[in-house]
Amino acid sequence: MTSQVKPGDRLPQVTLFDGAPNKPVRIDELCAGKSVVIVGVPGAFTPTCHSSHLPGFVADFDKLKAKGVDLVICVAVNDPFVMAAWAGALGSGDKVLMLADSRAEFAKALGMDIDLTAVLGSVRCRRFSMHVVDNVVKSVNAEEDSSKVDASSSCRLLTKI
Amino acid sequence: SSMMHRLGFCAGQLGSLRLRLAGQLLPARAMSLKVGDKLPAMELVEGPEMKKVNLQELFAGQRSILFGVPGAFTPTCSRVHLPSYVRDYDKLKAKGISQVFCLAVNDPFVMQAWSDANGAEGKVRMLSDTQAIFVEAAGLSLDLSHLLGGLRAKRFVMVIEDGVVKQLDVEPDPTKATCTLADEVLQSL
Repeated sequence: MTSQVKPGDRLPQVTLFDGAPNKPVRIDELCAGKSVVIVGVPGAFTPTCHSSHLPGFVADFDKLKAKGVDLVICVAVNDPFVMAAWAGALGSGDKVLMLADSRAEFAKALGMDIDLTAVLGSVRCRRFSMHVVDNVVKSVNAEEDSSKVDASSSCRLLTKI
Repeated sequence: SSMMHRLGFCAGQLGSLRLRLAGQLLPARAMSLKVGDKLPAMELVEGPEMKKVNLQELFAGQRSILFGVPGAFTPTCSRVHLPSYVRDYDKLKAKGISQVFCLAVNDPFVMQAWSDANGAEGKVRMLSDTQAIFVEAAGLSLDLSHLLGGLRAKRFVMVIEDGVVKQLDVEPDPTKATCTLADEVLQSL
């Protein structure tokens, strides 16, 4: 089991999917040379993710941009079609890029995987937010209890950028 | 035996079950559900409140349709398959079907969101086979790990009367919906 990602680590070279299984994106290539916020969530459409966590990042998008953030990415262990539908439902469109970590490869590489088989049917991603500059992790805010939004919120992250 | 009673398979599957108990490495098709079989007494989940539903209880004493899809929000499932059952719901009721269920290996939150997006409320009920236990046992699972991240349901439709499978059609190409569409089932009712 990979230990949890920490400041100073480089982003792993993992492929995620943008809207469809035939649209792969290498996360390290996407984030090269940029200031990026990455938000991990247990599940698209799950209550906390849908009603509080993600909306915070959509709402704080302009504040994040004002702090030099180029890109806000949300990752979950869901298939690309579900992530695209969730983006549509949230109206996150041009603000948050929803990427599918279909096989939990990214979550595992970050040491952010959590076994939610009993409730959601598979290993999922812990709730966290992270600030990354040119593929080097600057801050990581993992929620101890993934059903809550506290350490991983957008307003908390804004204080760290 | 009590073991078989717990697993809920009818007498007709005694042979395959004995084989399964004897050998661990049996192919899944030895446990395939077929016409004439009773549904297994398995628990699936319905809705974001995580309501547990027992398949045998759910389908007892009713004439029902259960159709399976590879994935909520995937193109064919969304554009064609689910809409056909929502649209033809009243016609199905007129032919004596009292309940219509859609099953997928998706969590209940995704299934609810998909139902909402398709206006299925009050017509098609969503069942989450979250851990693929039903589709695996029924021989209706499809390995879509490379596309969607895991085991999914084949595209199928069943007509079930008082818990017994009366009709079962499986789409040969899961990316298409032909024999498993509502109007095809209507013709056979």
